Amino acid sequence: MVLEVTAKDLDTEKIIYQDQRQYFEIGLDLDGYMRYGAWQIKEIVDLTLQPLKTQHERFFFIMEQGVKKVEVSVNLYYYISGKKGDLIHQKKFVFHYEED
Amino acid sequence: MRRFWFLFMICLFLALGTSMASSSEDKLSFPDHPIDDFDTFVKVYDSRRCAECHAEIYEEWQESFHARSMVSSIKGIANFFSVGVPKEWEKKLNKQEIIKCLDCHLPQIKFASERLAREIAGYMIEAKMAKGAQKQRAISKLKQLNISCYGCHNIKIAGTAPGITGHIDPNVIYTAGEGESEAHETEENPILKRSFFCIQCHGVYIAPDGESTYCNTLSGSYVHNYLGQGGRESCQDCHMKKNNRGHRFPGGHDLEIVKEGLLLQAEAKAFRYGIGKWVPAVNVEAFITNKAGHRTPDG
Repeated sequence: MVLEVTAKDLDTEKIIYQDQRQYFEIGLDLDGYMRYGAWQIKEIVDLTLQPLKTQHERFFFIMEQGVKKVEVSVNLYYYISGKKGDLIHQKKFVFHYEED
Repeated sequence: MRRFWFLFMICLFLALGTSMASSSEDKLSFPDHPIDDFDTFVKVYDSRRCAECHAEIYEEWQESFHARSMVSSIKGIANFFSVGVPKEWEKKLNKQEIIKCLDCHLPQIKFASERLAREIAGYMIEAKMAKGAQKQRAISKLKQLNISCYGCHNIKIAGTAPGITGHIDPNVIYTAGEGESEAHETEENPILKRSFFCIQCHGVYIAPDGESTYCNTLSGSYVHNYLGQGGRESCQDCHMKKNNRGHRFPGGHDLEIVKEGLLLQAEAKAFRYGIGKWVPAVNVEAFITNKAGHRTPDG
């Protein structure tokens, strides 16, 4: 699962900021090597979201001077496999910066 | 006249005899010995046998991943059969190893002969490794195999608490609620209403020889982290009862239930950063709440 924050300059339509947090399990074998085979995995490193808990993430970024109108998206993607991510929740904000 | 009554009695006797015989034959019955033939195996455990009376449940089940528990897991299972067992463990691929996957993906494997278990394992390997017609043939064979009605309503009943459930009669269909049927022997068993029942496959699997298989870790997370923090719903509450999900058992493959289990909140503020050299800046605070009864994602 991926939480992604993007900022798009609405005048140029360019993505000017992008960052993400990932939530997943890492399977390890007895020697501490990452493994994918269910028969190889004997331990996990748990980087998932825990039940009944709220995960708080903070993002702070600056943009170039001259950016006047920006759309910030907060996207939560769910990956059922490594390849296909589905957008399951999204929040959008539009900000205007006054002339310098 | 006497001749007429004689013939009438014979006809009546035959009619009654036929009727009794057919009602006995029509009752669902299942073998308690190993089956060696693939087609017989498929026919015996085919959920369509239940569909005549339980059409709605059958339709739900068909949409579930239980109905495609073999074809949906070809890659992982075939890797275990072709790499894990023979190459990494340097062991012979026999039924004892095969059930480490199929005890859950195909519970009726319990009633497959050693030879048939190896035949089915062969289709798994071919479905991944072979090409063209041979691959398609293997996939079409695997499509006929799944976690059938009988898998949960009989075979797995004694999977977690055999000391309590005792002997499982192969000809009894165990149910979560009270009820009777003319089509089969029926017995209520509360284990079907408990998370404990699902846990036997939806968590770390421990084989009879002690080998652990980490297909997923849902149950540990549910027991120790969800219940431990005050969670009180069961697997069945969310994955069956809510929204009339029934025997579709939606999980990670279903975006509706994934969305339901996660809450996203976000706050954001725009401002000017850098004293004297002010540049546009944004601060985003995001909060994701996992409302599911287990870690997310899992597996």
